[in-house]
Amino acid sequence: MEGEEFAVGCLLSIKTTLGDEFEGQIICYDRLSNILVLQEGLESGPRRNIRLLKANYIKEFSLLSQDEDPLDVKKCFLDLAGLQAREDSAIRQAEADSERFGVGVTSEAQTLFDALSKTLPVCWDKTVIVVMNDVRVSSPYLPESVRGGTPAANERVRKVLEFERKKIQTRGTSL
Amino acid sequence: MGLENRVEEDNCSMNEALLFATMSIIGLQVDAHLKDGSVYSGIFHTASVEKEYGIVLKKAKLTKKGRCSSNVANGSVVETLVILAGDLAQVVAKGVPLHFDGFAGNIACSNGEATSEIFPSSANPLNGTKKLNESTMDERKRNTKRNSVHSDNGFADSLIPTNTGKEDEGQKLLENPMGNEKGVLHQKRDRTHVEQREDASGATIIRRQVGEERSQLSQDELGQKFESHVERSEKEVQHSVSSCTSSAIDTLKPVDGEHDNPCCERPSAIDIHQDAVCSGVSTSNPVVNVSPESCQRSFANPTAILPPQSSELNKNSKEFKLNPGAKIFSPSFVTAISAAPPLVPTVANVSYIPGNSPMAAVAGSQPEVGMGTFVPRSSTPSKFVSYGNISAATGVSGSQFSQPIVGHMGNRTQPLRYAGQYHPVQAAPAYMNPNSQAVMFGHMGQLICVPVSHDLVPSAAAIAPEPARPPLTPHHVQFPKHQGSAPGQALQLCVPQPFIAGGQPPLAVPSHIPYLHTPYPVNRPVQIPGSNGLFSTKLP
Repeated sequence: MEGEEFAVGCLLSIKTTLGDEFEGQIICYDRLSNILVLQEGLESGPRRNIRLLKANYIKEFSLLSQDEDPLDVKKCFLDLAGLQAREDSAIRQAEADSERFGVGVTSEAQTLFDALSKTLPVCWDKTVIVVMNDVRVSSPYLPESVRGGTPAANERVRKVLEFERKKIQTRGTSL
Repeated sequence: MGLENRVEEDNCSMNEALLFATMSIIGLQVDAHLKDGSVYSGIFHTASVEKEYGIVLKKAKLTKKGRCSSNVANGSVVETLVILAGDLAQVVAKGVPLHFDGFAGNIACSNGEATSEIFPSSANPLNGTKKLNESTMDERKRNTKRNSVHSDNGFADSLIPTNTGKEDEGQKLLENPMGNEKGVLHQKRDRTHVEQREDASGATIIRRQVGEERSQLSQDELGQKFESHVERSEKEVQHSVSSCTSSAIDTLKPVDGEHDNPCCERPSAIDIHQDAVCSGVSTSNPVVNVSPESCQRSFANPTAILPPQSSELNKNSKEFKLNPGAKIFSPSFVTAISAAPPLVPTVANVSYIPGNSPMAAVAGSQPEVGMGTFVPRSSTPSKFVSYGNISAATGVSGSQFSQPIVGHMGNRTQPLRYAGQYHPVQAAPAYMNPNSQAVMFGHMGQLICVPVSHDLVPSAAAIAPEPARPPLTPHHVQFPKHQGSAPGQALQLCVPQPFIAGGQPPLAVPSHIPYLHTPYPVNRPVQIPGSNGLFSTKLP
């Protein structure tokens, strides 16, 4: 697709061999690696979606319009420290988030976990939801499956669990 | 030749934009589409852009299974995932704050807003914005410098001045350690910065690792600390930027040796050893990654005296501030220990060295100390002063001693009692130190060595219950975290009796306390030079 290297700024509508369809403006094309960099969401603010697409996966494309080069090399800059910081905090966040996802649990269980986590401190112990480090809710995550903890805590967890299950059911039926 | 050069130049200029786009998405959550249709979602870490385009994601998850099998289980998180160029089809990054053209103009004026967008974490931007506004003047100066440099074609060059301008922001938001990460060489220097900044004990400062600092600071005092270090870090970052960039590309070469493979080839997940390869370009070094862990390890390490536990330090930071420059505390026994029991923060970790029968008597009081015996360190003397009682309590070794003990016991009052009892204690000025040390303990896990003289033992007889105390349970033992003990002081290493490691019911203590302290007296201040060594042997 040699035409692209001269067509920076063009707005294309692209279909990929993977089944994606999108529109984007060409930011650059690198012939060596055959990567086409596009941005979506024209002028929708400082944040855009960037796609780095390998040109050989383009099934078809059509030119929508042609614009100026969106990248002004003179004005581009990178905040390296900021990037590093961003990545580090993203990793930290991912680590924290990973605690919240149960591995090998049903999506219903995950939904219940997420609902419980709004008001109670919960964590996973394999496939068991552990609330307040005391109360354990194991599969099938029914109010009867709530075990442990003080009677008060147990009761509370049961109530919340019932409530959340009802919500899920009504949500399901209403869909 | 000429043609090749031209082509290369063209590629270079093209690559510039690709490089820019690539760098801009570092740290963002991206979706990597592979040629077989599978999609991996992870944090964009780095890429190899030399000949082919391969990428590395951190904390990657398979979000959509493709046609081919892969060696990554569905749902599991891969710490570092390398996607080779041959497998990669597309990388999609959403919400990228690209700074070019329309936005660049705004950068100089509103650095706060722009920069705050970069950071995904919710906490930082708010802090960052405030801090950034403060240094707008500096930024403008740097911005002009940056713009002039930008006229160069070289992409790498343009990074450097950019860095200068943005350094402040980055630092305000992040802190020094970011700069540290880039330049491992500079770590020491930055650490010293941290030392000055940190409130925590001297030992903590010295040993604190980059990662640890960062996590702490981001949680605690982001705003206050970095301004002084901005300029210093800038230089460091500058130096390291170009080296990082070039090394990144070099190190990534081995990664992308492959060419297009048949559809069914499995994308491979390469683990952490690749991390080392890719560390050059972006963000965290393996060194940095490792350091927080090693810090933790060192904390747990009984023999490691210096690094105190950060959490505990935080807890106790208000209560005591280790002053590395503090003089050795030489108590004057004049005052009785009226002392209000120093706030002995609950020392979660009690470490002591069981053993030394002579100390037994002391041990009596130890239970209180259960909190943690700490090895007095050079800096501690001053600290003790802060605790208040210690300073006053010079005379009352016992009381001091008991204070730390308070630990979980919560018997702060105990010391007071002791005071009355300990006249002998007063006799031994040197003694004080250890006690004060004991106070320090609050820090947890410091070993308190209080030599128990045998003379006192008879008085200790009253301490009968002591022996009943259960031996120090290992888990309670916390190893002395550098309390900044003053070596010079008469830290009397006490070999705490195996008491309490936190399990002791406080009840037992009070009755014994009076007795316990008697042993302490000070008759002989035992100098404990190299207490570290001493402790190391004793500590479990």
